[in-house]
Amino acid sequence: MNKLKIIWNAIIPNNPVLIISIGLCSVIAVSNSVQSALLMTFAFAMVQIPSNIIVSAMRKIIPHEIRVPIFVSVIAAFTTIAALLSQAYFNSVYQIIKLYILLVVVNCIIIGRAEAFAYQNGVFDSFLDGIGNTIGYGIVLVAIAIIRELIGKGTLAGIQIMPESYQPMLLMILPPAGFIMIGILVGALETYLKRKEGKK
Amino acid sequence: MKSIVKFAITLGLIAAITGFALAIVYKITKPIIAAQDAKALEQGLSEIFPGDYEFLKLDKPITAQDPSVQITECYLVKDKASGKPVGMVSRVTVPGSQAPIEMLVGVKSDGSVSGVKILKLNETAGLGANADNPKYYVDKKNKITFLGQFIDKNVIKDKLIPKQDVIAMTGATITSSAVSKGVKVAGEAMVAYLKEAGQ
Repeated sequence: MNKLKIIWNAIIPNNPVLIISIGLCSVIAVSNSVQSALLMTFAFAMVQIPSNIIVSAMRKIIPHEIRVPIFVSVIAAFTTIAALLSQAYFNSVYQIIKLYILLVVVNCIIIGRAEAFAYQNGVFDSFLDGIGNTIGYGIVLVAIAIIRELIGKGTLAGIQIMPESYQPMLLMILPPAGFIMIGILVGALETYLKRKEGKK
Repeated sequence: MKSIVKFAITLGLIAAITGFALAIVYKITKPIIAAQDAKALEQGLSEIFPGDYEFLKLDKPITAQDPSVQITECYLVKDKASGKPVGMVSRVTVPGSQAPIEMLVGVKSDGSVSGVKILKLNETAGLGANADNPKYYVDKKNKITFLGQFIDKNVIKDKLIPKQDVIAMTGATITSSAVSKGVKVAGEAMVAYLKEAGQ
């Protein structure tokens, strides 16, 4: 497969959140501020990319029947290692991202990609798939966060954007708004893909 | 039967490798993390009581009236010049909405709060996690943070209840109540100890 296509597929046609509809919990939980969204994407990358590489490298020795507990062990180990290393060497950053690192362990995109891609493909392709999924996940997270934070708090990445007189709409930073925003983006992407298909 | 043994060996091997990798990383990072925790504690104590004070750790922490508020460490604050005790700081753990919240609460001998600093917080991002956000103001006009509003409140005279005499964080009532309760209960216990000790 074309290497660039692996990345592109994970970003648009097979976007993990908008098309495959997995990893929704974390998107709803952390997309109420741009800073949280960026940090979650960073934490996600720290686990998704190495997990994909390790699962791919070991795919020939992993028996099919017990692949899921092995994927879980690898992902949980990488999550803990990422948490320990960032706490020890990047403590100031860790104090902000600790919540997101711990959330990564239950992110089903990571186990989904280990199962659907890394277990079937080579190490380099799995590495690219990890990058593509991180970008695809991050773009959705940040796009939703921009709208939710702006309307729900009047700020962007903590910087006041709306005038002082603006009354923030609390609903936007609460979970229901996350679902609404995902619904809108799914609709927009589906429409775009169908129109593109129609033109062909 | 043969495949079960094979699966058990494979799974055991993977668990051993990941466990070994975790043990190595833990061993390397443990002293660094412990040193950072000690530094954060030291910094927290001097933030709560800024000035020329010494902090004497009590052999046994005091007990709070409310069992949900746990006091794990206590420090008697003494003025270096006169040697007189001026207050107390405790490391307090309260149940938050997601996980226990660990914080330092400092009170002066007259019962007024000298400061509150959060050491561990795992509350909801964007809501309860704002408890220790230095840019999140509960009073935007006067630029007062959630923890900042406790300074100079009196743990004996004030109720320290959100939406009464404490401004709650938007959408984070549980976290606001937990922190307020920790300050009130631990503060009362510290003032009682100071009074009993004649300080």
